[in-house]
Amino acid sequence: MVTKDEIMKIAILSKLSVGEDEIDKLTEDMGEIISFAYTINKAADIESDFDNINNLSNVLREDEVVPSMEREQILKNAKDSDDGCFMVKNIMK
Amino acid sequence: MKYELVAGFETHVELATNTKIFCSCTTEFGGEPNTHCCPICIGLPGTLPKLNKKVVEYAIRAGLATNCEIAEISKMDRKNYCYPDLPKAYQISQYDKPLCEHGYIQLSNGRKIRILRIHIEEDAGKLVHRRGDTLVDYNRGGVPLIEIVTEPDFRSVDEAKEYVEKLQLIMRYIGVSDCRMQEGSMRCDVNISVRPEGSEKLGTRTEIKNMNSITFIAKAMEYEYGRQVDLIESGEKVVQETLRYDDVTNTTSSMRGKEDANDYRYFRDPDLVTINVPREKVEQIKEELPELPEEKKNRYIDELGLPEADASLLTKYRKIAEYYEKASEGTKNPKTAANFIIGQIFRSVETESEKEEFNVSVSAENLNELIILLDSGKIRMNLAKSTLDKMLETGKKASELIDESDMGGLDENTLLDLCKQAVENNPKAVSDYLGGKEKAVKAMVGFVMKNSRGKADAALAEQKIIDMIKNT
Repeated sequence: MVTKDEIMKIAILSKLSVGEDEIDKLTEDMGEIISFAYTINKAADIESDFDNINNLSNVLREDEVVPSMEREQILKNAKDSDDGCFMVKNIMK
Repeated sequence: MKYELVAGFETHVELATNTKIFCSCTTEFGGEPNTHCCPICIGLPGTLPKLNKKVVEYAIRAGLATNCEIAEISKMDRKNYCYPDLPKAYQISQYDKPLCEHGYIQLSNGRKIRILRIHIEEDAGKLVHRRGDTLVDYNRGGVPLIEIVTEPDFRSVDEAKEYVEKLQLIMRYIGVSDCRMQEGSMRCDVNISVRPEGSEKLGTRTEIKNMNSITFIAKAMEYEYGRQVDLIESGEKVVQETLRYDDVTNTTSSMRGKEDANDYRYFRDPDLVTINVPREKVEQIKEELPELPEEKKNRYIDELGLPEADASLLTKYRKIAEYYEKASEGTKNPKTAANFIIGQIFRSVETESEKEEFNVSVSAENLNELIILLDSGKIRMNLAKSTLDKMLETGKKASELIDESDMGGLDENTLLDLCKQAVENNPKAVSDYLGGKEKAVKAMVGFVMKNSRGKADAALAEQKIIDMIKNT
C-alpha cells in the first residue's frame, strides 16, 4: 500500500534524513498506520468533512488592532537574530 | 507557423483590513522589522488562530464585484511547505472550498475572462538575503490576502494588461484593497503556454511568479511567448517550471528550491471552524456595493452624454468620479465640469497616488459654484477658465476672486469698440490674415482680452474681428 519511494518523498518534504536501514521499517509502520485509518473510515458514518466536535461555525473576530508584542520578546526564542530580524542560514544557493 | 498565446492569472491582493487575518496585529505597511508580530503570527506552538470577520466580508465583496457565486459553506486548509518566510511551515489557505467561484471580468473586446475562484489566505514574511545568512521579518506574515485565479482565457498581452487594470480598479472601488503594485499589495503570477493557431490542445505551460508592475507583466509575457515559440520551432520542448522575471535583463529564468516535490499535502486546518455564509449576508453585501467603474462609465456615456475618453478618465479613480459627481451636481451641462476637471484640474495631479487621493486645492463644491456662475451667464467661459487657474493657485472660492464688476461680461458696444481698436492697432495681423494666415486673428483677440481684463467672450470677439476685416 505504501511504497519506499513514497516514504522517501515524505521524508524529503518533512526535511527528515532517513537512513537506508530505516526505510523498510518505516514503510511497514506507515502502511499499518494507514490501514488503521482506513478502519476508522469504514466504522464512522461521516456526513461531511465540515463537522467538527462541537459543530461550531463562524467563530470570527472583530477587525480591531491590539498592540503587538515587544520585539525583544518575539525574538527571545530565536536561535539567532540580527538587526531586529530572525536570522537563518543562507537559503539562496 | 503562427502561434497563439494562452495565459492565465493568479493575482494576490492584500486586503485593506486594520488587522491580520488570524490575529489582532496591525497590517500597516513598513514599520521596524518584527514589531507587528505576536505569538500567533510568528507561529508559536500552542497558539490558536481566529479569523477576522472583515476578511470574509471583503472577499465576498470582491467575489460579488467579479460576478462570482458565493459559497454557502467554506473552510480553511493548511498548505504545507518548508521555507523560512512561513514560521508554521504551512500557510493557512483554502483548498477545495474557496469562498467565491465561477465569476468573470469582461474585457473591452467583449471577451469574458472567467474567474475560477477567489480564496482567502495569509501572506508570508519578508526575507532579506545577505552573504551567508538570511534575515526574516514577519511584519507581513499573516496579512490577509485574496488570491484571484482565472481560467487560461487570455490570448494576448493586451488582454492581460486590461484585465490587471480592470481588476485593480474594481478592488479599489469596492474598497477592499489599495492595490499598490509597487508596494506589493497586488502581485501577479502568470501561467503561460503557446500553441499552433487553430489548435485546441494546450501547450506545456510555465509560470512566471510574483510580478508587481503592469509594464513588467507585459514585457515578461512577451519574452516568455518568444522563448517558447523559439524552443518549439527549433524542435525542443518547453519544460514545465516556475520562472522569475528579471526586469534589468528582460529575461525569465528558472526558480528552483522553494519546494522540490511540488506537493503541498493540503488538509483541513483543525484549528479553524467552518465558515457559513448565510444568503441574507450575501444579499446585504451586494446591496452595499458601490456602483462599479464599468457601470459608472457606461452611465456617464449613455445618460450624461460624455465622450468615452472623458468617461474613462473620470471613472479611473473612485475619488475623481466622486469629485466629478459633486462638481457637476445641478449644473446645466454635465460636460462643463468634465472639461474643467480634465482640462485644468488634472494638471495638478501627476502621480498614481495623487490621482488616487485626488486632494486638489479646488474643492468639488467650489468648482460647482464656478460652473453655476457660468451657467447663469454672470461670467463668460474665458473668465471662468482664468478664475479656475487662480482658484487652483490660491485655493480661494470663485466668488472671492471675481468682482461684481467683472460679472456680466461686456456689453456689445464695448466689445465692438475693443474689436475695432484691435483691428486698427494691428495692421500686420490684418494683412497676415488676409494673406491666408488664419491664426493671425488670435493676436487681435488677445488684444481684446487684455484690454477687457478677460471679460470679453473670446469666441464672439474672434467672430466680430473677422467680420470687420472682411467688411473693410
